[in-house]
Amino acid sequence: MFKNYLKIAWRNLWRSKSFSFLNISGLAIGIAAASLIIIWLLNEVSYDRFHTNANRIYNVYNSDLNDGKIGCWNTTPKVMAKAIQQDYPEVETVVRVNWPQQLLFTVGDKKLKAAGNFVDSGFLKMFSFPLIKGTANTVLNNNYSIVITESLSKKLFGNEEAVGKTVLLDNQDNFTVTGVLKDIPTNTQFDFEYLIPWSYMRTKGWDDDFWGNNSTNTFVQLKKEASLASIAPKIKTLRSKYDKESPKMETFLYPISRSYLYGRFDNGKESGGRIETIRLFAIIAIFIILIACINFMNLSTARSEKRAKEVGIRKVVGAEKKSLIGQFLGESILISFIAGVLALIIITISLPYFADLVQKKLSINFSDYRFWLAGFGIILFTGLLAGSYPALYLSGFKPVAVLKGTFKKVNALVTPRKVLVVTQFAFAIILIIGAIIVRQQLLNAQDRQTGYSKDNLVYSFLEGDIEKNYSLIKNELLSSGIATSVTKTSAPITEGWSNSWGIEWQGKNPHDKTVIDRYCADDDICKTAGLQIVQGRDIDLDKYPTDSLAMLLNESAVKHMKFTEPLGQIIKDNDKDWHVVGVVKDFILKSPYRPIEPMIIEGAAGWFNVIQIKMNTIKSTRKNLAAAEAIFKKYNPNYPFEYKFVDEQYAKKFDNEKRTGKLAGLFAFLTIFISCLGLFGLASYMAETRIKEIGVRKVLGASVFSITRMLSKDFLTLVIIAFAVGAPLAFWGMYKWLQDYPYHITIEWWVFALAGFTAILIALLTVSYQAIKAAVANPVKSLRTE
Amino acid sequence: MNNNMIKITDLEKYYRTEEVETIALNKLSIEVKEGEFVAVMGPSGCGKSTLLNILGLLDDADGGSFVFNGIEVAGYNERKRADLRKRNIGFVFQSFNLIDELTVFENVELPLIYNNVKAADRKKRVEEVLDNLKIMHRRNHYPQQLSGGQQQRVAVARAVVNSPKLILADEPTGNLDSSNGNEVMQLLTELNEKGTTIVMVTHSEHDARYSHRIIRMLDGHSVTENILI
Ligand SMILES: Nc1ncnc2c1ncn2[C@@H]1O[C@H](COP(=O)(O)OP(=O)(O)O)[C@@H](O)[C@H]1O
Ligand SMILES: [Mg+2]
Repeated sequence: MFKNYLKIAWRNLWRSKSFSFLNISGLAIGIAAASLIIIWLLNEVSYDRFHTNANRIYNVYNSDLNDGKIGCWNTTPKVMAKAIQQDYPEVETVVRVNWPQQLLFTVGDKKLKAAGNFVDSGFLKMFSFPLIKGTANTVLNNNYSIVITESLSKKLFGNEEAVGKTVLLDNQDNFTVTGVLKDIPTNTQFDFEYLIPWSYMRTKGWDDDFWGNNSTNTFVQLKKEASLASIAPKIKTLRSKYDKESPKMETFLYPISRSYLYGRFDNGKESGGRIETIRLFAIIAIFIILIACINFMNLSTARSEKRAKEVGIRKVVGAEKKSLIGQFLGESILISFIAGVLALIIITISLPYFADLVQKKLSINFSDYRFWLAGFGIILFTGLLAGSYPALYLSGFKPVAVLKGTFKKVNALVTPRKVLVVTQFAFAIILIIGAIIVRQQLLNAQDRQTGYSKDNLVYSFLEGDIEKNYSLIKNELLSSGIATSVTKTSAPITEGWSNSWGIEWQGKNPHDKTVIDRYCADDDICKTAGLQIVQGRDIDLDKYPTDSLAMLLNESAVKHMKFTEPLGQIIKDNDKDWHVVGVVKDFILKSPYRPIEPMIIEGAAGWFNVIQIKMNTIKSTRKNLAAAEAIFKKYNPNYPFEYKFVDEQYAKKFDNEKRTGKLAGLFAFLTIFISCLGLFGLASYMAETRIKEIGVRKVLGASVFSITRMLSKDFLTLVIIAFAVGAPLAFWGMYKWLQDYPYHITIEWWVFALAGFTAILIALLTVSYQAIKAAVANPVKSLRTE
Repeated sequence: MNNNMIKITDLEKYYRTEEVETIALNKLSIEVKEGEFVAVMGPSGCGKSTLLNILGLLDDADGGSFVFNGIEVAGYNERKRADLRKRNIGFVFQSFNLIDELTVFENVELPLIYNNVKAADRKKRVEEVLDNLKIMHRRNHYPQQLSGGQQQRVAVARAVVNSPKLILADEPTGNLDSSNGNEVMQLLTELNEKGTTIVMVTHSEHDARYSHRIIRMLDGHSVTENILI
């Protein structure tokens, strides 16, 4: 019996090729698109869950009341680890991980930079990053040992054995390689190519015991039998025992398996984070599969007139309803199987592009049985989902009715088929509107005035001898005509690295704990970065030697500090008295989506990390950079000259929204495309079943136009209803999305008009092709097919 | 003669549409004995096909009684009717009703599949029947590749492959020319001679003469019965 089903299913597929093509390609695209999303989401949800002890590892967080709101963050004092280890018997190990650090590696003549972490020696026991060489217990035991990844080892030593070899780091100390790690996977919050023991920091004097210096990440692994519930209330008040400055600040443990997906806090509570994106795209994946299935259902039931006779005959010769249901489900599973194979090809080809789009390293592990299990699961699921309605519908035909020819398709006001088409197009319209609004928001933020000039501005980090030779480098850059202005700053102009609520000025409310951005620039910052001076002047060390304690304020700071006469004010920060020499127009330091915060710029007495160079436009950028490289090489010979363009860095602030926009656009396109495949099929069946009617009408004098209109009208009505359903949903969803951005657009009516118009136009084009084809056909032909 | 295979009493069937109610069968009572060959005649629309569908357990009556082989089957649900049907009844239609996607062999095989006959037995049975009806050489053809007469022979083959006790034929020669028609009537007569009960609807007095008895219907009623033997 099964063979018979398969045979007839196969012949049916073969006989109605265009139907099969529409069906299979729609399903294949749907399965492929959904699978790509699933592959991506699986990578996201697997973040840091692969560690053997994942469910016992926690990240240490602080929470503190500030301005009436609870803030949570995960940088802790370096000494906290010791206190936790001593005070709580529940704790097995504590490991500190400092911020990722770029170091210069020198091996013989080879010099290259790599990023990695200083970590406590228990790191590799706590986290499951497998070693190829060396043992986790001992590799980090010596001050000057270093563990590197396989690919860094390749870069440094080629195919030679790395363990035992020596590398010079940052031209200062020699380290011995004690272990080689397998390259770390992409689904972890860590990103390092080397690990250096924390004890090295101590030898350098970089370790400290200040409870006020919240600067490192601390991870805790609880003992097997210990529970979070038992330690949580105790660790909460940890600081009251040690921290004289902020004894009320609370401490809590947060599971590492949650931190990637959920680690965003709002007033002390988890407030979503990446999980929201994941939920959104999971819904999109489900909907895309659903839409492809809807195609299948629509096309199958539209063909019911053709299949009705077969059903009738089978019933007459003894088929029961359940065996017919089996037959139709078998057919749909066969179709979805073929579509699945096709989808696998599509996925394999498109995965690299998709991975690029979502900025993840994604791959399929074909040797993993779970992949095949999931694949067959999806195929079976799709086949059953798509086939269930047609199977019930078709198997329900009464043989008497269909064989006598009195079987007529129902033309009710609401039929399941119409509901399905409306669902499809409503979803497509929602995605179109979403894509347009995301794009608008992006353009709007991109168009926002930065308040400084990004053009021809490059920067480099103060590495090696750059800081020592800074004035020589600066002079040479200026005198050789490469640069028009050079300034040393605390951070790139696109990033805020420092802030404080401890800044004091005259008239400050003692309860004011507003965080103010802190930036440092030695000289000429307004000229270099193109900041606009509203009052006073730029910092100018040549003319005013006291300007090493000069300060600039932005307009928001002036407003916040309630200065009527800002110039000449004295502002205290870091135990220094700064005098305000100028006010600059607000500029975007951090997020282009947020309001600009109060900001101070401190003069040469501050601290510096970056050299910013405004290029002279007389020569080409390429020539300028080549000349600059020579100068940097001269004064900082051990380091490669590396620089970044401010405009490129600024553009990166939009990567997330660009990605969201592209994804929404892509899936909107796919949804529309799949829906149109279905619509095309439906229209062709409609034209086919009404061919005689059309013939008669033409004979009686109907024009091609009136027939086309008659055939297209029904479908257009459905798309318009879909718009009425989809538009409010889209408005609601996008309104909520925009609320995450303090600086955002307002939703305008024309977006909906455009989306509706697009959907209608595309549907019209799809349907009218079939309608016109039917309308221009020679009626003599169609009437003869009696 | 023999036992009653079919005994219907006061059978009623209505068709309701939005505008009108049609009485297709109006308190119809007939009997058919085992081994009989009965022809049903009457003007178009008098309820012949409706009667045949009810006899074939394809459709429900709205009133009256239907005793099939001594068992009351009026009120059987669809599953029970399907079960009874597939074991006892074969159909032949005016428009052949073969499945276009299946070959001659596969079409004839179908009732055996639904009766869970094993593949080897099926092959034997189908070949036997095809041989009998002289269409063995067409076994791998599709219905559209056959003439009308050949198609109807396939339909007859399919109706008898399961050795049903009753064959219901609704204008089996309606779409055939007279020589093909006669061939089909010959086939039915042979089957009847081997013991199969046959109820046949026809418009042709010529065909009706192959039967033992003619039931004439008018407006859902049986009006006269002519006994031919
Ligand atoms: N499905 C149906 N719906 C409504 N009326 C029907 C249906 N089938 C048959 N009829 C009506 O019932 C009557 C008997 O039909 P039928 O049994 O097909 O007649 P016959 O086969 O004798 O020509 C006719 O008047 C016909 O119009
Ligand atoms: Mg009839």
